[in-house]
Amino acid sequence: MVKAVPSWLRLASVVFVALTALILLAPLIVVVGVSVSESQFIAFPPNGLSLRWYQQVLSSNAYLGAAWISIQIAVMVTVLATVIGGAAAIAIHRRQLPFSDLLATVFLSPLVLPTIIYAIGMLMFWSAAFGPVSPITLALSHTVIALPYVVRTTLAVLAESNPYLEEAARTMGANRMQRLWFVVVPQCIPGLAAGAFFAFNISFDEAVLSLFLRGPTLTTLPVQIYGQLEFSPDPSVAAVSTIMIALTIVLIFVIDRMLGLTKFASA
Amino acid sequence: MNDRTENLLLALPGILLLGLAFFLPIAQMLLLSISGPDGPTLSHFVRFLSDPYYLNILWRTVRLSLLITLICALIGFPLAYIMTKVGPKLRLWLVVMVILPLMTSVVVRTFGWMVLLSRSGLIPEMLRDMGLVGRTFALMQTETAIVIGMVQVLLPFMALSILGVLTRIDGRLEEAARTMGCSFLATIRTVVLPLALPGIVAGSLLCFTLSASSFVTPNLLGGTRIQVLAASIYKSVTATPDWPFAAAQAVILFAGILLVLAPYIKLTGTKHG
Repeated sequence: MVKAVPSWLRLASVVFVALTALILLAPLIVVVGVSVSESQFIAFPPNGLSLRWYQQVLSSNAYLGAAWISIQIAVMVTVLATVIGGAAAIAIHRRQLPFSDLLATVFLSPLVLPTIIYAIGMLMFWSAAFGPVSPITLALSHTVIALPYVVRTTLAVLAESNPYLEEAARTMGANRMQRLWFVVVPQCIPGLAAGAFFAFNISFDEAVLSLFLRGPTLTTLPVQIYGQLEFSPDPSVAAVSTIMIALTIVLIFVIDRMLGLTKFASA
Repeated sequence: MNDRTENLLLALPGILLLGLAFFLPIAQMLLLSISGPDGPTLSHFVRFLSDPYYLNILWRTVRLSLLITLICALIGFPLAYIMTKVGPKLRLWLVVMVILPLMTSVVVRTFGWMVLLSRSGLIPEMLRDMGLVGRTFALMQTETAIVIGMVQVLLPFMALSILGVLTRIDGRLEEAARTMGCSFLATIRTVVLPLALPGIVAGSLLCFTLSASSFVTPNLLGGTRIQVLAASIYKSVTATPDWPFAAAQAVILFAGILLVLAPYIKLTGTKHG
């Protein structure tokens, strides 16, 4: 069948994919290029080759402080979203609660609502109810937007699980906790793992909630970069950005090794 | 403890979190949008909808979002189709090519475009060298820059939405069409495209929603002069600050998005029910 595709079209699709790859990857390549430039100014193609901007980033309190806050929040979000989302997915999957469908919709609803709308709601609500925003505010809000991903990946894995395993465990005398912990949770692990990686990635890269819920001592890495871009970008921004891209590549590699990226992308 | 209690306990932390940190904040925002110094008021909405400056922002947001969505669909469909036809190894690389930008922070990607599109950047320079544009040609702080940046940001969503549907299409349908004498392009038009429509629609809705509500990329590439609705909301929260007005603008954005989503939600609702 593939042979029957006209040859001009095959050529056209090769050119098309190459151009699309260029559009999708150009900004990333440019950022990496700028980061190794020797020049004082942002320039692409880079002039010379030097790692001085990385050195500068690694000795900058502003960047290191922001990175530390980002990591702390991302870890909190990963734990919270995986535990809360995983538990919810198990409950939704069993379909024994009334309004099971509604529950699924509720848990996926943060996906539909634009983040900016949620961000100002959270800012206004938190200020009215508890006063100034704190890292807890930001972590909770990131957890809310990461939750649907964990629920979805876990539900996807549970959909392929064997429902009789739990019943078998029950007949063999396993109690409720044992069935949950030794039978159901192990089956969820690929979904939980994928969800956890997504949660970490979402929190670490998220800019909108972090911009609205920032404070003098609450600046995440994307917010720090955004601030630099608005005023005076120098190649050190590119160095930080390159580190973030590298982290993303590592995450993608891990997800592919653990779960298979192709299967995941078309799910 | 019975089954229902166990499941309720499992879902409870999530319900509490979403109730307290998601639905309550949205309610608070809705409330604030109609709050004035002396009781409930619609003055913030009136102010927005009667000022040509804000109406212009609204119109620009809708126009750019539609254009960005259209371009994403035009690139996303062939891309997703090609992804289903290549071998597993190449497909993995294409998936990486789509997912890597998707999982990279929007701030980082926008920075890349700022470098490429700036006055001395690669793209304006190339266009000038080719003699296609004049010496004063600039791309930064134009709507074109916003469209270019946003297409790169949103294309992965579109491609993945369509890919999800395309992989579930029975390949034999295409073969049947070909055996019955359809040309390749006719097969795409009469078999693949109609079957892929749900994915294209879902991807378009997603792109439109995300595009209408994003402000990081438009702010950095379009500058303060070319504002979109989300950027105006951000300004009302941080610069002005006028929170009730910001809330009213957010409600207008939300209402606009629901207006676009509503026919689709109704459509899928009847299909399942």
